[in-house]
Amino acid sequence: MLLALCFLFPVLPLWAGGAQEAEDAVNLVYWSMWNETEPQAMVLKSAIRDFEKLNPGVKVAIQWNGREIRKTLQPALDAGTVIDIWDEDLERIVKTWQSYAIGLDEYYGQSYPTTGGKAFGDTTMGSLQSLLRSFSTDGKIYAVPYQPMVLVAFYNKDHFAKAGIAKAPVTWDEFLSVCAKLKAAGYIPMTIDDAYMELPLGMHLNRVFGNYEAVEALAKDKTGRLWDDPRVLRTARDFETLARNGYLSPQVESNKWPAGQQEVATDQVSMYMLNGTWLPNEVKGTTGPDFPWGQFAYPVVDPAIGASAGTYGSQGFQISKKCANPDVAFALLAHLTTGKWDQEMAANTLGAPMDTGMDWPEVISDCKAVFGSLESWIPWSGGLAADTDAFPVIKAEYTRLLAGKVTAEQFVANIKAGL
Amino acid sequence: MKRNRTMMITFLTPALFSFGLVFIYPILRTLAMSFFYVRTVTDGWGKWEFVALANYQKLFASSMFIQSLKNILNIWLWGGLVVFAVALIFSILLTSGFKGKSFYRAAIYLPNVVSAVAMATMWIQYAFNSKYGLFHTLFSFLGMERLASFQWTSPDNQFLAMTLAYCFGMVGYYVLIFMAGIEKIPVDYYEAATLEGANLLKKFIHITLPLLRGVLRSSVVMWSVTSIGFFIWSMMFSPLDPDVGTITPMVYMYNLVFGRNLTPTDPQLLNAGAGAAVGVLLTGLTVIIFAMVNLLIRDRKLQY
Repeated sequence: MLLALCFLFPVLPLWAGGAQEAEDAVNLVYWSMWNETEPQAMVLKSAIRDFEKLNPGVKVAIQWNGREIRKTLQPALDAGTVIDIWDEDLERIVKTWQSYAIGLDEYYGQSYPTTGGKAFGDTTMGSLQSLLRSFSTDGKIYAVPYQPMVLVAFYNKDHFAKAGIAKAPVTWDEFLSVCAKLKAAGYIPMTIDDAYMELPLGMHLNRVFGNYEAVEALAKDKTGRLWDDPRVLRTARDFETLARNGYLSPQVESNKWPAGQQEVATDQVSMYMLNGTWLPNEVKGTTGPDFPWGQFAYPVVDPAIGASAGTYGSQGFQISKKCANPDVAFALLAHLTTGKWDQEMAANTLGAPMDTGMDWPEVISDCKAVFGSLESWIPWSGGLAADTDAFPVIKAEYTRLLAGKVTAEQFVANIKAGL
Repeated sequence: MKRNRTMMITFLTPALFSFGLVFIYPILRTLAMSFFYVRTVTDGWGKWEFVALANYQKLFASSMFIQSLKNILNIWLWGGLVVFAVALIFSILLTSGFKGKSFYRAAIYLPNVVSAVAMATMWIQYAFNSKYGLFHTLFSFLGMERLASFQWTSPDNQFLAMTLAYCFGMVGYYVLIFMAGIEKIPVDYYEAATLEGANLLKKFIHITLPLLRGVLRSSVVMWSVTSIGFFIWSMMFSPLDPDVGTITPMVYMYNLVFGRNLTPTDPQLLNAGAGAAVGVLLTGLTVIIFAMVNLLIRDRKLQY
C-alpha cells in the first residue's frame, strides 16, 4: 500500500494542477497533426507549456508532423518509436489506430481541474462520445475529441437580406426559392470546389434514401442495377434543375480548391454548398473578421426522412498503449480540451468549442443549432466514397451534371457504364 | 597494373553489401509481398496472408487501375511526341549559330529548377483559372471568347491541362540533352552539306537525326521511366482523392498503401500487398520498354 502511494504521489499534483515539484520527471512525446505555424498548433503549444508550468515534473516533446502523420505514425509506432500521444481526424484514428491506443472509458469518469468538478465525460459532447463508440470494434472509447466540426451550407447574410430572403431554407423547395431570389437580385446563388464536389450529391441521396448504407451500396454496386432506383434519377433531376436555372457559378466545373471558396469570400457568390465548420477560418485572410457568415443544414428533400442526419466529427487525441504515464497523458488531454484552452482554441481558429455550455464564435454561430439537431451520423461524402473505383467516376459525372454538360438521365447512364 | 584480390574484396564488400541491403532486399521483399495480403506496409511476416495471384487479379479487375495505365500511356505517347518535337526544334535552332544561345538555353531550362509543387500550383491557380488565369486573360484580350471560356481543369479537360503543364516543364531538360548531342557532331559534316546545297531540314534528317540516335535512345528510356513514375503532378491536380483524368499507377498504389487523404479509407480497403503488385507491374513495364527501345533503336556504334 505504501509502495502504491509512493508511486501515485508524483502523479497526484498533476491532477490537482498544483505547482508542487514532482519527484520524478515525466516525459511525454506528442506527435501532432498540425504544422507549427498553424493557429491550432500555436494554441496547443501555449496550452502544453501552461500544463508544464502547472506541473513542473512534466516535459512534453512535440513533433509537428502536419497531415503527413497519416502516413508516418503507424510505421513509427511499429518501429518502436516512443510516441505517447498523437492526434488526427476522429474517425481515422479510431478506425485505423485503435489497436495501438488505450481505452479511455475509465478516465472519462474522472474529474480534472478544468472540468469544473464534473466528470470529463460530462463536459464532452454526447454525440461525439456515441460516435467514438460506434467507430471502435468493441464499443469503447479510444480517443479524446477536440475541435468539433459539422458539414453545413455557408451563405452570405447580406446577400440574403438584399435579395429579400428572411430566413435560411429548410426544405428543398425553399432552397430553390432562395436560389431564384438570389439570382433575381443579381447574385450567383452557389458554388463549390473540386475538393468538396461530391458532398451535396452524397447528402441529397441520404435525404432521399434515409440511410448512408443505401448510398454505400450504390457506390459498391458493380452491376449498376441499384442506380435504376427512381430516387437516384429524382436526385439527379434536382441537380439538373439547379444547373438549368443558372444557379451555379459558371466556373464550378473547373474550380480547383480554394478557387470556389474565394468566390464566396470575395462576394461574388452567395452560398457555398457544402463545407466544414473550418471554412471561415480558412478564408479569413480574404474576408476579414466581419464577414456576415450564415449557415444552414442541408435541406429536407423528403419530409418523411427529414434532416436529422448529418456529417459531423472532430479531431481527436489518442494515448499509446506503450505510454508509461497514461494518467499524466490524459490529464494533459483534459487540460487541452476543456476550460480555458478549449475556449482559446475555438477563439483562435474560429472553430467550435468542446464545452456544450459555451457560445460558438460569431462566424459559425448558426452551426451550433445544426450540430444540436443531429440525431444520426453520415460519413464524409455520404457513403459515395465507399468504393475507390466508383467514387472518381461518380464525382466526375456529378461535376458534369452541375455544369449542365449532361442531363439527369445521361448522368445515371454514364455512371452505370463507368462502374 | 597488378590485381590485388584482397584489396578488391576489401573495397567492394561494403559497397556491395550496402547495395544489397538498400536495393536487392527491398526489391525481393516487394516481389514477395505482392503475392500476399498485407494490410499495412510495416506488418511483419507473421501477419502476411498468402493469396497467390489475387492481388494482380484485383488490379486488372479495377477500372481505376486500368484507367491509370491508360493515363500514363497517353502521357508517354502524346506528351513524349510533343516534348521531343519541341525540344528537337529548340536544340536545332539554338545550335545553329543563334545569338544569345546561353540565355535561351537557361531560360528554357528554368522550369526544371523550380519545384514541381510550385510549378503545378502556378499552372492550376494562375494559368488555368477560368476567371483570372493567364489563358483566360490572354484569349479575352485577343477576343477569342470560346478559348477564353475553356474550362481547363474540368473533368473533361483535366488530363490535357495536366499533360500540358508537365510537358512545359520537361522541354528544357531534353533541350539540354539534345543540344549536348548535336554539339558533339563535327561541324565539317554540316559545312560539307551546306556546300552541297542541303537546307536545314535535309541536314537534320540526314546528319543530325542519325548521329543523335544514341542520345535519342537514352532520352526515350528516361522519358519512359519518368512517365511510368508519374506522381507529383497527379497529386497536385487531385490532392485529396484521385480523379479519372489524373490518376496514375503510382497514385493508385499510394492510395492502396496509405489510404486517401480527405476521406478516411475503410481500413479493410488498405492493401500494401496489392500496392507491391503495382510496383512489380511498373518495374516489369519499365524493363519491357527498355528492351523494346534497345530493339527498335539500335546503337550503330558510329565513330565521329
